[in-house]
Amino acid sequence: MKKLTALILTLVLALSLAACGPSQDAADVVRYGMSNAWDTLMPYNSPSGSNYTRIVCDKIYDRLAYVHADGSLDPRGAASWESADNGMAVVFHLDENAAFHDGTPVTAEHWADTIALMTNPDCPTLARSVFNVLAGTDENGAAVEGETLGAEAIDQHTLKLTFKSPTAPEDFLLDRNREFYVLPTHLLEGVDPAEVMALELWEAPIGSGPLKFVEEIPGSQLTLQANPDYQLGRPGFDKLVITVMDKSNLLPSLMAGDLDYYAFGGNLAADDRQTAEDGGIEVLEGTVPNSFYELMLNNETISSSATRRAIDLALDKEALCLHTAQGLGEPTATDLTPGTAYTSSLTWSRDVEGAKALLEEGGYDGQTYTLACTSNRSGLAALMQQQLAEVDITVTIETVDSATLFSGMAEGKYDMAIASHTPGALPLWFTESRFSAGNNIFHVADLTPYTTLIAQIKAAPGGPERQELVNQLQELLARERPFIPLWFGRTLHAQSPTADNIDYPSSSFSNENVWEWTLKAG
Amino acid sequence: MTPFRSNPRSPWARFCRNRRAVVCLFLLCLELLLVFLLPPLMGLEPNVSDLEAGFWAPPSPAHWLGTDDVGRDLLARLLCGGQVSLLIGLSAAAISAALGVPLGLLAGYRRGAWEFWLMRLADIVQSFPSIILVLCLVALVGPSALNIVLVLGLLGWTGIARLVYGNTLTVRDQEYVVAARALGASRGFLLRRNVLPNVVAPVWCSIPLRAGRAILSESSLSFLGVGIRTPQASWGSLIQAAADLTVLTSRPWAWIPPSLCIIFTVLCLAVIGDGLRDALDPRSRRLPD
Amino acid sequence: MGRYIRSRLITAIPVFFGITLLVFLMVNLAPGTITDLMGEGAANEADRAALEASLGLDQPLPLRYAGWLAGLFQGDLGQSYFYNRPVSRLIVQRVGPSLLLTGSGVALAVAAALPLGVLAAWKPRSVWDRLASFLSLLSFGVPGFVLCLGGIALFAVTLGWLPTHGMYAAGTFTSLGDLLRHLVLPAGVVCLSSLGELVKQTRSACLESLGQDYILTARAKGLTDGAVMVRHAFRGSLVPVLTTILSHIPHILGGSVVVEQIFGWPGMGSLLFSAISQRDYPLVMGVTVVVALGVLLTNLLLDLVYGLADPRVRYGKE
Repeated sequence: MKKLTALILTLVLALSLAACGPSQDAADVVRYGMSNAWDTLMPYNSPSGSNYTRIVCDKIYDRLAYVHADGSLDPRGAASWESADNGMAVVFHLDENAAFHDGTPVTAEHWADTIALMTNPDCPTLARSVFNVLAGTDENGAAVEGETLGAEAIDQHTLKLTFKSPTAPEDFLLDRNREFYVLPTHLLEGVDPAEVMALELWEAPIGSGPLKFVEEIPGSQLTLQANPDYQLGRPGFDKLVITVMDKSNLLPSLMAGDLDYYAFGGNLAADDRQTAEDGGIEVLEGTVPNSFYELMLNNETISSSATRRAIDLALDKEALCLHTAQGLGEPTATDLTPGTAYTSSLTWSRDVEGAKALLEEGGYDGQTYTLACTSNRSGLAALMQQQLAEVDITVTIETVDSATLFSGMAEGKYDMAIASHTPGALPLWFTESRFSAGNNIFHVADLTPYTTLIAQIKAAPGGPERQELVNQLQELLARERPFIPLWFGRTLHAQSPTADNIDYPSSSFSNENVWEWTLKAG
Repeated sequence: MTPFRSNPRSPWARFCRNRRAVVCLFLLCLELLLVFLLPPLMGLEPNVSDLEAGFWAPPSPAHWLGTDDVGRDLLARLLCGGQVSLLIGLSAAAISAALGVPLGLLAGYRRGAWEFWLMRLADIVQSFPSIILVLCLVALVGPSALNIVLVLGLLGWTGIARLVYGNTLTVRDQEYVVAARALGASRGFLLRRNVLPNVVAPVWCSIPLRAGRAILSESSLSFLGVGIRTPQASWGSLIQAAADLTVLTSRPWAWIPPSLCIIFTVLCLAVIGDGLRDALDPRSRRLPD
Repeated sequence: MGRYIRSRLITAIPVFFGITLLVFLMVNLAPGTITDLMGEGAANEADRAALEASLGLDQPLPLRYAGWLAGLFQGDLGQSYFYNRPVSRLIVQRVGPSLLLTGSGVALAVAAALPLGVLAAWKPRSVWDRLASFLSLLSFGVPGFVLCLGGIALFAVTLGWLPTHGMYAAGTFTSLGDLLRHLVLPAGVVCLSSLGELVKQTRSACLESLGQDYILTARAKGLTDGAVMVRHAFRGSLVPVLTTILSHIPHILGGSVVVEQIFGWPGMGSLLFSAISQRDYPLVMGVTVVVALGVLLTNLLLDLVYGLADPRVRYGKE
């Protein structure tokens, strides 16, 4: 009987604890949820190279600019910028108030030294290819001996980046801003470049971003505190706690008032809109496309362009898009982001008979293809499988995690894979990196036609001339169909019931305006 | 332990006296029949979307249990999922028994090095929380119904082997066995006639429980993303739809039927297991329940 | 006694090596390499080669096993690919929360199962017996993640009584009440998932001991039913029930993978699950080997304690 009494007492205690509610000292903490963990807090040593790591490093380290979802730019580490040397270089005028969390002012030297160190072949930088647009680097982004590196400090607050080909400042920032961070190089003096990544500094990093590192449980929790001296203003809260939890718990936590926000704009599946609204969450509809869905193809195993075009014709992109985005998307025939400067007149249509004819032309012999997808897209894959079955293409589905999916495609293990990306405003945002010798993810036998056109587009001055070349590239893609564009989707953002001034859409571009966030009173 | 031969009535007759167990056995057989016969009889297609009905359609005359996220008929998926889940459960338990019984006999009867190393092997496997080992192995060999059955079955032998081993040790030193051995009975004869009948009883009792557990393990694996392969369905993968607040709170038709099926099946299996224990082990007192 | 301890230790040695070998082979014979970890964009040849070389993946298998084992003896479990820091440090941070969660879950389960099981055995078909059956039903038949999400939907979203995730409201320890509030839901699920088995065991152990001679004697002495139950039947059933609990601990630990994952609880289970999906092999090896060795050690200690307490065990085993 004593045990029973103890049990009842425990229950009473638990309920009374539940009744007393959250304590008041939690009021100035922003609780931030995330479905996957970041890996390291050293941005140039991230094995996963994932957006989760980027969005966390975005808080601790500073970048040159802030990129809005619509492609417009705001000053951040750099107060202004202009083109120089006939478009071959960009000069950044750094914000003179920027300082590292240890009080050291951020100078152009820090930026130049960061780039010099990370491009140093002795330094084990991961994803070094982000630097490969700079003069004096090879295609992997490693500095070439004897050449001058395209990153120099003109004076204390002026940084000049020189490129291999003419590049507009906006193009550079839209493409690479999220990869360029300034490191506290004054703390790295005298360190052997080979040993840089092993420093304990990166476990309690010092950056110049809007938030300072406090403590971390790797893979589970990160506590940051507001940097009162951030040049763009002090964040309107004291602490930000990032917790990793299952994605199924993000929306419930927001609705229960236990989260203030979750990563990537509080993205909400269209299907959950009603639930969120019923739970008192305001839902904001994104205005710019922030996802691009494609069906990646392996051009080696599906070697006939007729077969690849047949797959394109067999897919009902409208139904696929309706399933996933529920009306918040536009089916597309190209990878050009709607609403940007460059367009294409190509259209898509479903044509089962045409697909069958093309299959015959392509000599499809009833082979079974493997379609890889991540587990949250298995419904989409099942729908595709049925549509392809209508033209007698048999497909088996393999559900894998996203890293395995991309590496499997790179190794040629799968015949097709469903992928989605954050679209860019530039006409080559998708094609340039995928049609290069270092990353021929579609296994295209002859890249030359693509690389030639891509180089011409990059060199073109813009306007109608560039548009014409873009059209040529799109026609080439439509003829060869190395990958199948599906649709551009917009997202719903679950608005925080407790925090204000969050720029939800820009979060998909791996930056968040935390310095402007404030907590609602009460 | 006394061999149940000494008891006049057959175990089957004793099992039949346990009305609850008989009813459960009947229901389980009925479930098996329905799950395997209904889809072909009703012409149900588990993998075809009905785009007119739409995604997540609520139950209607056309789709008795509604449709899922890609417009597939949920009744068809429930029944075909049942085939997969029941097959996974029963075959995993059968593999465990097929491995565990001979290994347990070997360890208990041959003793010596066999005993030492087989039992150490069981120690090793049992040191791991089962779901952790299953999760690692299935993630590594790749998720599919076959791999799940193999991993669950191959890892499940230890419990059964221990049961058999313990009972073999007891039986092998019983006077009548010692006497038979002294009279020159061959080892095979002894094992077949004296040891085996006495050690399989507890194995029979544990098989239904193991089958139930395997069905549940499969559903956990589905949640962790290493379940069976789409578009195949299993009860576990159907319940996984509930890992979304909207489905959980406003589309109960999607996850309550498979949950009920799992509960029902596991429960039936448990009652049958209890019934078997009472029937096969004459010593055990009928528990009032 | 010395001989008994020695024989137990001798049997533990092959098990220890078996555990390490199993973990090592399982992970190292698996298809896929570290470069699978690298997502799109980071996956160019130069990066891959650099990474593989720095990890010594080109060495032969036996050499790598020996190296890993030697490291294990010194508490060095290698470097996590994903987090780029020592596996041992990652694990040390997670052990406490895991033990807290499983410990309180099991404690709750025991606190609930013992009285429920006794009551159910004492008064079959009573409300208590039905409650016991209902809880067993939840625990046997409902997958853990449905319990987790259902609990969150009910107690956190609808009723607003309990928090949905994490250990603390503000990231660090502020008060015991805060920690307990965060513990209630996950520990409740852990408790429920092991409750069924325990109630069942307690109930049948009690029924078993009710039939024993000493109970009949006690009844004959004129003790009331309640007194017989508590003083005798319950005590008699304590040992088999405790054995069940102890043998269940590895399963409970395993079951908390799902719970930790959903609640964002910073324990070993969520660490292992993310390590598997990230193909962070040194970390997978580290966590599984630590958990398995923990179980081995616990069993060994329990055996020794049993041996000390009960001479029959000592001599019977020799």
